[in-house]
Amino acid sequence: MKLTKAASAATLRRALVATLAATTLALAGCSVNQPGQQADRPTIRVGYQTFPSGDLIVKNNKWLEEALPDYNIKWVKFDSGADVNTAFIAKELDFGALGSSPVARGLSAPLNIPYKVAFVLDVAGDNEALVARNGTNIKSIADLRGKRIATPFASTAHYSLLAALSQNKLSPNDVQLVDLQPQAILAAWDRGDIDAAYTWLPTLDDLRKSGKDLITSRQLARDGKPTLDLAAVADDFASAHPEVVDIWRQQEARALTTIKDEPDAAAKAIAAEIGLTPEETAGQLKQGVYLTPEEVASPEWLGSEGKPGNIAANLQSASQFLADQKQIPSAADLATFQNAIYTKGLPGVLSQ
Amino acid sequence: MSVFVDIAPDESRVDSPKVNAPTNKWQGRLTRATLPALSLIVFFVVWQIAAASGIWNQTFVPYPGTVWRAFLDVSTTHDGTRGYAGYLLWEHLYMTLRRVLAGVVIGVALGVLLGLVMGSVSWVRSVLEPWLTFLRALPPLAYFFLLVIWLGIDEAPKITLLALAALPPAAVATTAAVVAAPVGLQEAARALGASRSEVIRDVVVPSALPETFTGIRLAVGMAYSSVVAAELFNGIPGIGGLVKDASNYNNTPVVLVGIFAIGISGLIIDGLLRAIERRAVPWRGKI
Repeated sequence: MKLTKAASAATLRRALVATLAATTLALAGCSVNQPGQQADRPTIRVGYQTFPSGDLIVKNNKWLEEALPDYNIKWVKFDSGADVNTAFIAKELDFGALGSSPVARGLSAPLNIPYKVAFVLDVAGDNEALVARNGTNIKSIADLRGKRIATPFASTAHYSLLAALSQNKLSPNDVQLVDLQPQAILAAWDRGDIDAAYTWLPTLDDLRKSGKDLITSRQLARDGKPTLDLAAVADDFASAHPEVVDIWRQQEARALTTIKDEPDAAAKAIAAEIGLTPEETAGQLKQGVYLTPEEVASPEWLGSEGKPGNIAANLQSASQFLADQKQIPSAADLATFQNAIYTKGLPGVLSQ
Repeated sequence: MSVFVDIAPDESRVDSPKVNAPTNKWQGRLTRATLPALSLIVFFVVWQIAAASGIWNQTFVPYPGTVWRAFLDVSTTHDGTRGYAGYLLWEHLYMTLRRVLAGVVIGVALGVLLGLVMGSVSWVRSVLEPWLTFLRALPPLAYFFLLVIWLGIDEAPKITLLALAALPPAAVATTAAVVAAPVGLQEAARALGASRSEVIRDVVVPSALPETFTGIRLAVGMAYSSVVAAELFNGIPGIGGLVKDASNYNNTPVVLVGIFAIGISGLIIDGLLRAIERRAVPWRGKI
């Protein structure tokens, strides 16, 4: 027993030392977190995700920092739109990038998040798709009945999968839906645990090596169920600093122009942010749909000041769809979504 | 033998009859019965006030009534929707308990066996101890992805994860208990002609059992606290999967229902284990 007592005393001492070390590390971590931040300036908090978009070009080239020298810019990385929604509810974000189905959920009851859609980062094209594994004998979506399909729940891909199923008169109960993140989808795919998956790049390219596309989000967009990556701005922030929102939109517009006119420069900047090679990134950029600034401010998407565009109807139909799928209690009306499109100064403000 | 009194937990002292006057005993019983109830009432009142104050968004602090409605919704079929994600609350809980039971049985069986060997053979202890500590230090989330790659997305990785979480506490407690088995008794048994295996069966194991039981309770606790991690992928039906899915949709009331279900069932399981322990090893703290 003496031995055990001595041992437990040693354990205690070790635990104390470890706790101290961890605390020191954590504190040190705080101080090295964001270099170049100065306490006397207001901070703008921008939430981003690592899907290829103009957002990452703005971040990598530090355009926002250059254009807003009087502010600290704090970039915060998120893995899903649900987390971005949570951060907006907690009032921890001023800007945030998230998919259209999280936005539709966020603007509907019970969340009713006070934010506005201020930019269209990209439209899902061939970069999100439903793929069936070779050897499963699945030739069309109708063949999916009773099969196991994986997708990350609560994502745009989940929304697209449900839309693709309902197009083919299948309900979610007719198939086995499995909630998996993209890396896990790849693992389950290789092991043969799943028959099909709706996911996005870069995982999608790996799946395509041993499977074939059943439908892509580009096709679904044509059929009236587009999924988009949007950027939202918190209501409080937009009314307090409209000039900052203008500058931010101009940088995002500049990034879209870069993707169109200098794809190599765009791929290089995005590659540096997501840890792929510029060649791989360029391939991904080709599969997505990136609007021009003029298109963003056109009636088909955001619209112009006083005349919110068709995106409000898109979001409303997404909200209705989520309500039909019992993911939210009820859909919000069109006016809610029209009010939630930030059109101030459009289209002129983008070209300044 | 004072050693064992030393490691006996407080609860056995609480349960042992007091020498105080009967009135004090009554007071003690009353306090023990009312205090938990009182703390519950205070908790709900504070919760209601916090929700009504409006300082926090409803998504973060919903009303107790909202959570109760969510509980009813998850437990029944309403508007054609069956519970949450097609399964009722008790079905989620049942699936999780089944996984925990399988994981704990495997983990504890291996752990106790390992502990017996490690406690009796010192070179095995030297070889295995660093590995066990290594495993114990790992948060399940860190290696769960590897289990998915190796074992797929069905029951195997979940049960393996729970078994891996349950194994170290059982093994460590058993090792310590076997090492601490009173040498005097062992030598006395040997002197009376007992063989080595008889000494282990009749002296070492009984004296190690009380601490092993504490280890098992810890193991169940560790496994239970890993259920959300274990059900991170393809976790529905399952209470951890329910919590994860509901938080994906910022559905706080259902998250809270899940948390309460995990917490309350955890309390019940621990109470059961304690009752079994009292029956199985009545000699705890009395050698």
